[in-house]
Amino acid sequence: MISSSALPYRDRKSVGSADFYFAINSTFRFIRDVLGRHALEAYWTSLGREYLAPVSQYWKNGGLEAIANYWNEFFKAEPGAEFEISSRSDAVELEVKVCPAIKHLRDGGRTITPEFCQHCYFVTEAAAQQAGFTIRVQGGNGCCRQTFFSNGVAASPQQLDNIQLAK
Amino acid sequence: MIGCYDFCAHYEWTFEWLRQQGGDELVQRFWKEAIGEDSQVHASALIKEKAFAGMEEYWGKTLAEEEAGYVATKGEEVFRLDMYDCPSKGFLISNGLQQFHDYCDHCIGWIGPVMKAAGFRIDHEHNHCGKCWWEFRRASDPEAGSPPGNIAGVNDVRIDPAWKSPDVTLDVFRRATAVQEKLERNV
Repeated sequence: MISSSALPYRDRKSVGSADFYFAINSTFRFIRDVLGRHALEAYWTSLGREYLAPVSQYWKNGGLEAIANYWNEFFKAEPGAEFEISSRSDAVELEVKVCPAIKHLRDGGRTITPEFCQHCYFVTEAAAQQAGFTIRVQGGNGCCRQTFFSNGVAASPQQLDNIQLAK
Repeated sequence: MIGCYDFCAHYEWTFEWLRQQGGDELVQRFWKEAIGEDSQVHASALIKEKAFAGMEEYWGKTLAEEEAGYVATKGEEVFRLDMYDCPSKGFLISNGLQQFHDYCDHCIGWIGPVMKAAGFRIDHEHNHCGKCWWEFRRASDPEAGSPPGNIAGVNDVRIDPAWKSPDVTLDVFRRATAVQEKLERNV
């Protein structure tokens, strides 16, 4: 059963159903193909700002410790995820060693939307900004490093070139 | 990252985001193309290849993974599902989530076109409270949807007292293959 104070929703299952990654991948492709790349970024930003508003509030209230708690609980509920979280005084670093979504899409023989890994930046940055934080993503295509800083900490701008296209 | 633990929540949220971009027509196109023809292409392949046995195989796996409360009944000329405890709608209800006007429509929104392409059609009702039933028959089969208990016996969800409780709204589909073929909404 998923029942954690760090996650906004409860479920009777202990992990989610991995085939839902198929639908997430297809949703990104549909929006990009039908509405365009700009709309895909707008969708991701709205998801972060609106859908993840309860998560933003949790981060805002609890700071970097809450960010670390959230991702720890989140990835425990994602089937097949391998990850490590480390906290510093000015940042939280999430190392995704095995991305459960990319792994399941590959195992299922799916064509992965190349921009898939960029959603981690756009969605999470929108949520983080509302809580006074910012994220930088490096890597992608199956493993990556996501670093969360307070907005006051100087972090170089996110370069999308630092996020690999997925395949 | 958005994940699969809360998939039903951001899936439902996405329906409303799409509706705001392009109305219900865009949402229906999303169900048909993104879900039916892309995400669930494995379901489509199974049903086209194995007909009723493919339906049994697809829903047997997916509903077990989602920990659904359901009974499947396979006959010679029909495959029936009685859903007592939909894990998807149940997740939304238990977490108090609703953005889109009819989440339950998404199922026939993608399953309908998949069945049409495979040569089947659907009798279906859902009550918006996590309960529904489905009967899949070949498109050429003149048989109508069955009376309560006729195929699934005591497992027929329509026998459940909660099926038509006073606060329930039933949506009805007969010989349908698309969400646009909703016949009536019975309050």
